[in-house]
Amino acid sequence: MTTLWPIALITFKEGVRNRALYGITLLALLLLVANFLISGMIMQEVGKVAVDIALSAVSLSGLLLVLFVGINLMAKDLDRKTIYMVLSRPISRSQYIVGKFLGMVLLIIITMFFLSMFAMLSIQLIKMTHPDYFPRFSWPMILLALSFSTLSLILLSALTFLFASLTSTSFITLVLTVIAYIIGQSLSDVKALVETPQTVGIQVSSVTVKVVQIAYYLFPNLSIFDIKMQAAHALPLSLSYIFWTVLYGLVYTSLALTGAAVIFRRREFP
Amino acid sequence: MRRLLLIIACIVFVVVYIVALGKITEEAKNIPKGEDTAYVMPASILRITALEFDGLASDFLFLKSLIFLGSTIERKEEPRVKPWEWEWLYHVLDASTDLDPYFFDPYYLGNANLTWGGGLIKEANALLEKGNRYRSWDFLLPFYIGFNNFYFLDDNNKAIEFLMEAARRPGAGSVYAALAAKLAYTERRTENAITFQEYILDHTEDSRLRTEYETRLNTLRGLLDLEKAVAEYKRRFGRYPGKIEDLIIKHVIDKLPPEPYGGNYYIDSHGQVKTTSESKIMPYRHLSLFPSSPSLLLPSQSLF
Repeated sequence: MTTLWPIALITFKEGVRNRALYGITLLALLLLVANFLISGMIMQEVGKVAVDIALSAVSLSGLLLVLFVGINLMAKDLDRKTIYMVLSRPISRSQYIVGKFLGMVLLIIITMFFLSMFAMLSIQLIKMTHPDYFPRFSWPMILLALSFSTLSLILLSALTFLFASLTSTSFITLVLTVIAYIIGQSLSDVKALVETPQTVGIQVSSVTVKVVQIAYYLFPNLSIFDIKMQAAHALPLSLSYIFWTVLYGLVYTSLALTGAAVIFRRREFP
Repeated sequence: MRRLLLIIACIVFVVVYIVALGKITEEAKNIPKGEDTAYVMPASILRITALEFDGLASDFLFLKSLIFLGSTIERKEEPRVKPWEWEWLYHVLDASTDLDPYFFDPYYLGNANLTWGGGLIKEANALLEKGNRYRSWDFLLPFYIGFNNFYFLDDNNKAIEFLMEAARRPGAGSVYAALAAKLAYTERRTENAITFQEYILDHTEDSRLRTEYETRLNTLRGLLDLEKAVAEYKRRFGRYPGKIEDLIIKHVIDKLPPEPYGGNYYIDSHGQVKTTSESKIMPYRHLSLFPSSPSLLLPSQSLF
C-alpha cells in the first residue's frame, strides 16, 4: 500500500489539474440549470422528470470524465514516454497499474460526489418550488442510483486500463472504451431483441443469437447499474439485486484490472 | 491595403452568410414534412439507442407531443389536427410509455386528447391499460378507462369492472364504488356522464382543459334538464314533444337552457334530446389504428 499511495495521489492530482474536468463540471451545472426549465414544462410528474434529468446529467458527466480525463491519465505516460522514468523506480509494473487505477477511482469518487451534491441541490430546489408534484419520491433510491452510477464508471475505467495496456495510442483506447460502453449499455436490450425478434417483425439468424449470447458474458453489462427509473419513481429494489450488482461490478473490475496488469507486465516498450 | 482587403472580405462573408441563412430557411420549409415522415421508431429499438438514458428519452418524447399539441392551438383549419397527426401522437406517447411505463404524464395527455380530440378511444384505452399494469398504486388510470368504456364505448360492464379496480386502489375515495353502482342504472346515461365529468373536472388543473371540461359539463347539464322535461311532457300528454319548443308552449319549462357551444338543442324522431354540437360532447368515432383482433394489441410492449 505504501508504494501504491504516492502513485494514486499523483494520478489524482494530475486528473484534477486537467482542464477538461472544468469543462465537464460546467456542462453538468448547465444541465442542472436546464433541469429547472424542462421540469417547469411538465404537467403532473415534475419530480420524476427532475430526478431523471439530474441523474442523467451526473451519469453523462461521469462518462465524459472517464473518457476524456481517465484515458489521458493512463495513456499520457505511454504517449510522452514518461513511463520509462516511472518504471526505473523500485516499483513493479503491476503496482504501477494498480496505483494509477486507485488514483483514478479516487478522482471518480470525488468528482461524482460533488456532481451528486449539485444534482441533489437542483432536485431539492425544484421540490421546494413544486412541492405538490412529487407524489413518489425517495432520497435513498436517488443516493443508490448515484452510487451505482459511480460503480459502473469505476468498472468502465478498469476497462480503459485493460485497453490502454493493449494498444499503443490513447485514441484507440478511447474508441474501444466508447464501443465497450455502448455495447455494455445496450447488450441486455439487444439480447432480448434477438431472442424474440418476432415482436418487431425482423428475422435474426441463429448465429447472431449465439454471438450476442457470447458477447453477453464477455462485455460488462452496464445496464444493470442503471436504476435511474427506479429512483425517479421511488420503486422498490430488492436487497439481493443490490448485493449481486455490487458483487458483479467489483468482480468485473478486478478481472479487467488483473488482465491489464498481466498484459502490461509482458509488454515491451520500444 | 491589406487591412482594407480584410475588411472587404469580412463584409462579403457576412453578407453571403445572411443571404445563405435566409435562403436555407426558406428551402427547409419545402422539405417534405408530415405524413411521410411521421414514423416513430419502435420502443425496442429506441431503448437500445437511448443507452442508459431511457427515462430522459421518455421525457423527451412526451415533451415532443406536448409541444406538438401546443402548436395546434393556433391553427385555423378544420379539423385542427389531422387524423394522421392523431395517429402519430398515439405512437409517440406509446413509445414514451414503453421507455418509461411508470411515467404518468403521457397517459394523462393521451387520455385527455386522443379521446375527445382524435376519437381514438381504443388506442387511448390501450395506453391507459399499459399504465394501469405498471402503476399499480394509481387509481386515476383505471378510472379513466372506466369512463372511456362507459362514455365512448357504451360498455357499462367493463366500466364497472375498472371503477371497482380504482375503488380498491390505496387512497381512492368512496366515489368510485358509488359511481360503479350508479352505472348499473343504464337508463340514467346523461346523469352518470355528469357525475363522471364533475369528478374529472375536480381532478384537472390545466386551465385550458378545465374550460373545455366545464363547457362540456354545462352542455350535459342542459341535456339532462331537457331530458327531464321531455319525460314530464310524456307523463302529462302521453306522447313525446314533436319539437323542443313544445316544452315551452305547453309550459313544461320556462325557457331553454343555454347551449354553451353555440349550437341548438333539438328532439330527434325517437324523442331523444340532442344538440347540434353533438360532435363536441361525443366525438366522431373514426377508424381505429388497431386490427380488430385484440391479441395483436401493442406488439412492442411485451418485449422486455
